[in-house]
Amino acid sequence: MKRLFEFIGFEPGRFHARWISGSEAQKVVETARKVTEEVRALGPNKKMRDDRC
Amino acid sequence: MLKEKIKSTVTELLENKRIDFVIGYGAGSDAGTVRPAFVKSVEEVEQLIWSPFAVNNLAKFVMDHLYENIKIGVIVKGCDSRSVIRLVQDKVFPRENFYVIGVPCKGILDKNKVAKDFDLSGDLVDFTEQGDEVILKTSKGEFKLRKEDYLLDKCYRCETPTPVVYDVLLGEEVAPFRTDDYEDVKAIENLSVEEKSRYWDKQFEKCIRCYACRNVCSACNCRDCVFDMAEPNWVGKAANLSENTAFHLIRAWHVAGRCVDCGECSRVCPMGIPVNTLNRKMIKDMKELFAVETPGKNPEQGPVLGTFRTDDPEEFM
Repeated sequence: MKRLFEFIGFEPGRFHARWISGSEAQKVVETARKVTEEVRALGPNKKMRDDRC
Repeated sequence: MLKEKIKSTVTELLENKRIDFVIGYGAGSDAGTVRPAFVKSVEEVEQLIWSPFAVNNLAKFVMDHLYENIKIGVIVKGCDSRSVIRLVQDKVFPRENFYVIGVPCKGILDKNKVAKDFDLSGDLVDFTEQGDEVILKTSKGEFKLRKEDYLLDKCYRCETPTPVVYDVLLGEEVAPFRTDDYEDVKAIENLSVEEKSRYWDKQFEKCIRCYACRNVCSACNCRDCVFDMAEPNWVGKAANLSENTAFHLIRAWHVAGRCVDCGECSRVCPMGIPVNTLNRKMIKDMKELFAVETPGKNPEQGPVLGTFRTDDPEEFM
């Protein structure tokens, strides 16, 4: 999924997929931090932003 | 001649009532076109032809006859035979209801490429192949061309010139003589992020959402399609860049691991969007990640993404 997103021109790091168990609280926190940081660095997304009718 | 072989095989099958009807190729509106022909009786066998332009994948037409429990003969080339495996593996149409008439194929001519240099507006009367040359006898004149210069793009990377599944094979087996290098996919992969985005935006903008790519696809065999649903409205129906991008991504993901790379989606697109390149990107990734073959090439290999393996690379963990 990530690879195809990047293939059509989304920036690497825009999309993340992680498998996290309900008991891995620490991993949830770390992942959320990492995703927020990386996406903030990229700025607002410009693709697929047309209004839905 | 292949045409005569097809006719005699089909006549025999129909006479002995071994099949209910045959899906084959009939003459199209001009020399470069063929149309699907549905032959139900011996009298109709005359419509069947073979042409160096016989590009259509006929396997999916069996889906008009689900639950009818009839035996259908289908004429398939190497690439189309993978679609037969697709439909059987997806349990859409049982193998025993197929009678697969295999045609070994050394490449099909691209009508658009040939039409640039020759007048194809007449009828195709006959054709002969000598080595790598084809002589097309049409009602508008006789044309001699080098096959290698005018093949469909997919034929230059064909790995299964002989059908992978058949009940009868018309002609000598053709050993695989080409390999797929995924140059078309690599060319886009090597672009920068902005260039990729611009390239695909330009393509998806053109989409008129006719769903021809879905309708022709042998992996798109669901009874209810997510793109037809209004309640819930999974995908917006508006033809704008965002919704079109969503449509093309979802379409590609829904056939991921099952797409047999027959290339029909790109061929039928009225707007010339390289739809199949999205599928090919995923096939390339899957080959790299899971060391599999093109789906449908090996009947033993199940759907790539529906198979559990302990050595999965698990990039998402």
